[in-house]
Amino acid sequence: MRAALELDDLILGDNQFFGINHMSQEKARQLAGRFNDMRKIYRAYHTAYDMGIRAVMLNANEKAGLICDYFRDHRSEFKDLALYPSIPYPHKYANLVAEKGILGAIQEVVSGQSAWNLLGMAGKSVSALSGDMTKVMEMLIDVEMRIFRKLDFKVVYLQNIITDLLLGLKFKDIFTAYCQYIEKKYAAVPGFLTMNVPRLAAFLQECGIENATICGNFNKIGYLMSPGPAEYEAYFRRPKYPMTAMSVYASGAIPPAEAIEYVKGQGLKSIVFGASTRDHMAETLKLVRG
Amino acid sequence: MISKDSSLVPRGRQAPELESKRMLKAGIIGAGRMGMTHFALLGSHPQVEVAAVTDDSSVVTGSLSRYRPDIKLYGEYRKMLAGEKLDLVLICTPPNLHTEMIEAAVERDVSVFVEKPFTLTAIEARRILERVASKGNGTRLALQVGYVNRFNDVFIKAKALLDRQMIGKVLSFRSEMFGRTVIQKSSGNGWRSKRENGGGCLYDFGSHAIDLAVFFMGRPEKIIGSHLSSLYSTHTDDAVRATLLYPQGLVGGLYVNWSDESCRKPGNKVEILGEEGKIVADNHELKVYMKREKGAYRQGWNTIYITDLFNNVPFYVRGNEFTRQIYHFVDCVLDPGLANQSSFADAALTQEIIDVIFADSPKHGGL
Repeated sequence: MRAALELDDLILGDNQFFGINHMSQEKARQLAGRFNDMRKIYRAYHTAYDMGIRAVMLNANEKAGLICDYFRDHRSEFKDLALYPSIPYPHKYANLVAEKGILGAIQEVVSGQSAWNLLGMAGKSVSALSGDMTKVMEMLIDVEMRIFRKLDFKVVYLQNIITDLLLGLKFKDIFTAYCQYIEKKYAAVPGFLTMNVPRLAAFLQECGIENATICGNFNKIGYLMSPGPAEYEAYFRRPKYPMTAMSVYASGAIPPAEAIEYVKGQGLKSIVFGASTRDHMAETLKLVRG
Repeated sequence: MISKDSSLVPRGRQAPELESKRMLKAGIIGAGRMGMTHFALLGSHPQVEVAAVTDDSSVVTGSLSRYRPDIKLYGEYRKMLAGEKLDLVLICTPPNLHTEMIEAAVERDVSVFVEKPFTLTAIEARRILERVASKGNGTRLALQVGYVNRFNDVFIKAKALLDRQMIGKVLSFRSEMFGRTVIQKSSGNGWRSKRENGGGCLYDFGSHAIDLAVFFMGRPEKIIGSHLSSLYSTHTDDAVRATLLYPQGLVGGLYVNWSDESCRKPGNKVEILGEEGKIVADNHELKVYMKREKGAYRQGWNTIYITDLFNNVPFYVRGNEFTRQIYHFVDCVLDPGLANQSSFADAALTQEIIDVIFADSPKHGGL
């Protein structure tokens, strides 16, 4: 019997460190400027940890490797920190695909990887594997997960652009293959980031997936909650999968107390949040833990 | 309180009574990055069945035959059009292939959504319009080009403000698009790196910026001072400048660059200066400067975020505007009386402007 997944109540997200803000590009640029120096990002993680935050979500972007190195090098200072990786960094692939096409992009990423060579594929083209996209997916996961090696993680999330694309395409076997691979190879719970929580949950059930967790936008104004807040609220009355709420403040559009009260009121116990200062972290911490 | 503009909320969800029983059969030509996105969006529509795909990439055909064996695969689009009784087709191939594909689909009475840019030249665009007009029932087809910004919540709101004369008589404007698509000398030989295939900054980014200029301001009288330059590409342009002249002294500037590493992702921006204020709109945010208070807008700067403006879509992939764009197309297929918001005629105008810029640029030492 598998132990039930215990999601952390508070997971510190990373958008604020990487110049990502869904509300304002100007705000995003300001934050990117503020966290241009990696030491400031590390300091923010120390602050969060010292305040009692024990979980961090990290997208496999260009800077995530440095952050993971830092966590490994300072293991004693982040003793019981749980990492929630999300893969892949979509813009890397978007640019590669624009430049080289889908096949060329996959080739570029997996060529020279040890798994690729182990398959006896050294020097060969991805197209030779075209009948087995599951294998290609497994290799891509391994490439993305390399930066997180030897760190403790509970969940490995598939990034929302990929989740939602595959959901629309109804590629059932990819979902089950992803879940099986994350469980088997990484001993973690497969997770899905999505902007379509009710539809995804229904689809995962259709796929026969039991052990998975969902992380999706959930906020009082219904921002980026497709098809709409009513469907989300209906789903949360009988949730099928453990859930983490993201974008609870809707990029700052909702006052913190109101935002947390709403999420808690709907029965959600885990949130991922972005905070760039001690004061903001403290505020969320107080609102969530009381 | 600043109101949302929901005129483009997909009717697929708002008006389920509209031909609610009719299922549309769809085909996709070119299942690359955009083709797959549109495929996922169409796949979520309750009144559409994606029946067939034409693509020659082994990754695409391999994946589809394995994960979606119900979808029929073709290596040649003419065979797909002949073999399936399609209601609609999405054309997401390199732009140099668009014209013949559009004409073949229209010939068979199939509605067409084609990715931008519409065609490579204005001559082709006009020929397509003539073909459609010459077909008696051509006007019953839904014909749309993928200028997705027209479905973005912020640009929709900005257009509504402009149409309501919020900033009075327009004096000048600029339309920009910046991104980091090409930020080094590339060994890539994808279609985007060659102008003859429809690659390059003017076709790719520039067409979006021009489309927004057309969306907000309509047809310019004249284009001057065009300049195309290469920053990294060897076979095409990476940056575009042009000045659009309108009646009554209105001047618009076009500033486009796809080699700007400082941009995390591609984005459009439009600035419109009027006698009574100014509108600054990008994909996420709207700023309105007012000389005097007017309605909900106070004197000085007013910032309106996407979180104030958004309308949720039935299914989200990559952005509300992508869903709204495809659902609008489906609505137009179901209801031939509905006016298309990104029509072939609109796109033909953008194509004319592209032609003029290509012709004008070498006169000023550009590509």
